[in-house]
Amino acid sequence: MDSSEVEFLAEKEMVKIIPNFSLDRIYLIGGDLGPFNPGLPVDVPVWLALNLKQRQKCRIVPPAWMDVEKLEEMRELERKEDTFTPVPSPYYMELTKLLLNYASDNIPKADEIRTLVKDIWDTRIAKLRLSADSFISQLEAHAKLDNLTLMEINTIRAFLLDSLNCMYKLRSNLQPGSSKGQFTDY
Amino acid sequence: LFYMLYLTNVKHVLCFQRVALLVASDIDALCACKILQALFHCDQVQYTLVPVTGWQDLGTAFLEHKEQIKLLIKQDDDLGVPPYDDIFRDEDDEEGGDSGNESDEGSEPGSGRREILFDYEQYEYHGTSASMMFFELAWVLTKDTKDMLWWAVIGLTDQWVHDKITHMKYVTDIATMQRHVSRHNHRNEDEENSLSIDCMRISFEYDLRLTLYQHWSLYESICNSCYTSCNFKLWTLNGQKKLQEFLADMGLPLKQVRQKFNSMDMSIKENLRDVIEESSNKYGLKDIRIQTFGVHFGFKNRFLASDMVHATAALLESTEKDESDSDNFIKALDSLSRSNLERLHSGIELAKRKLMAIQQTVASCICTNLILSQGPFLYCYLMEGTPDVKLFSKPIALTLLCKYLLKAFVHSTRNKRCKLLPLIMAAPKDVEKGTVIVVGIPPESETSDKKNFFGRAFEKAAESTSSRTLHDNFDTSIIELKTDDRSKFLDALITLLS
Repeated sequence: MDSSEVEFLAEKEMVKIIPNFSLDRIYLIGGDLGPFNPGLPVDVPVWLALNLKQRQKCRIVPPAWMDVEKLEEMRELERKEDTFTPVPSPYYMELTKLLLNYASDNIPKADEIRTLVKDIWDTRIAKLRLSADSFISQLEAHAKLDNLTLMEINTIRAFLLDSLNCMYKLRSNLQPGSSKGQFTDY
Repeated sequence: LFYMLYLTNVKHVLCFQRVALLVASDIDALCACKILQALFHCDQVQYTLVPVTGWQDLGTAFLEHKEQIKLLIKQDDDLGVPPYDDIFRDEDDEEGGDSGNESDEGSEPGSGRREILFDYEQYEYHGTSASMMFFELAWVLTKDTKDMLWWAVIGLTDQWVHDKITHMKYVTDIATMQRHVSRHNHRNEDEENSLSIDCMRISFEYDLRLTLYQHWSLYESICNSCYTSCNFKLWTLNGQKKLQEFLADMGLPLKQVRQKFNSMDMSIKENLRDVIEESSNKYGLKDIRIQTFGVHFGFKNRFLASDMVHATAALLESTEKDESDSDNFIKALDSLSRSNLERLHSGIELAKRKLMAIQQTVASCICTNLILSQGPFLYCYLMEGTPDVKLFSKPIALTLLCKYLLKAFVHSTRNKRCKLLPLIMAAPKDVEKGTVIVVGIPPESETSDKKNFFGRAFEKAAESTSSRTLHDNFDTSIIELKTDDRSKFLDALITLLS
């Protein structure tokens, strides 16, 4: 999976906007949206919010978790725990990037938020690497990781699978006669 | 105002039709084009962008698109148009709101109209910047953004840099823009949470009249800016000495001043503007500071409006090989967006070279007395072998050279009568076709109303001598002439204007 695909999936998340136009309910394949009235908040998917924002037809309201104090608490919690803590949103990284790129004028303290989210991401990825490292070196058979987001999984997926493949090849070579050079590579 | 209402109504019609946007080749037009493009993007209007360099291009483009497109919006710098109350406009369905260059056949009878039209055609001068008008339109539609505001500021500054409007008009327009700037700044900074550093901040600056000084070294900027160069007479040895004294007077060590501006010591940069202003007053440079605007986004991107004008103009008229006019147009248009910083920086480098070329040409013209008084006007011809003469085959660059040269001449000559003369300049345009480009500018004066009568004069002189000329430029005081017809054309002009 490519990270742009993960971002595409992230764009389905709902976010609150305040439109400056009016439109009746629209009926889309994924569901109904609206009606839109100027000045009244309405929930829409991120892809629509960004499109409207670029056409200057709305103002984006940052999600509740995108707040400096809440993110600071989460960061401290993440640093203390050895395991993964629950995330504010299953797509927190992508949403931060999209919203801060296109709507940073609607989000207070945008720079600090960007730094905090990056800190949280770095801590989690570090834990993930440690975990993957121990999994491979100790030849474990199965592991359980709670609270991982799709983007994080996607980051480690290619590496993990390739290294497990390599380990398998190496192990099969150690046992002569068991299997001679017929492996399927994914 | 008539335009505003017309264009707002037009907007509703536009939603499901295509628009042809014909844009002239000057910075104000480019800025207005960017504003319109942004507005079109908001409403997802389809448009075709056609750069035009003169009346012929305009005609061809109109004919090409005539079949498909019903409404036509043309824009270039707003050449002065008499008030609408005096002349009725007859808009048919084919021609739409343009920013005021042509006046269509009116239906008001009487001699009043004829007089006004005669005045209109005799002099040529510039009205309000087109980009400012489009910005006001965007504001009326409440779709104005900081980007559009910045483009409007650049359009206005273009008029000032290329000396198209009077100082009074510039100051009045700056005040109008300042109101918009404060409104935008107030809107964003009223919470205690300040904006992300990447957001664009426009600020009013009472900055130095030293071209591109923040992207160059202070010394180079002083040497190559028209104002300082003319007032110090930097083409003379005496002038150079005065400059050294000036720098010493301010306590600026030569080593610092020759470095890139950004690498100068902070202690020097802090009070630079005030220090320079104080010293300049002592040396007779009373207007070293000018009201303008600057933009600031990200950590290291700061630009003054005049920087942008010079950079974009250099890109628009770049004489590099393998670049067609439309390539240059697109590059110049791109450089106005915030996302194309390398384009902008390359424009700044080109602008520096252009300014240095202008300075050297001015110095050589004055020192070798290439400016001849022909009676009713001054005349200067740049010969083919002159260094950088290719740069001056383009209208905007040649006009800028012309203005600098006239200012320098006025400062250097002792002849009182010559100081009040207008200047005509000619430079080779196309060596293969054997043509020169001729530019005429009005005399230099403090209270000049910047009205230019050369358009008509050129036409009449060409007619009377049947010289082969091309009056294609939107600016009628710039024409193309066959080199061989030069002398008879000039003679005719002399007789005409005496």
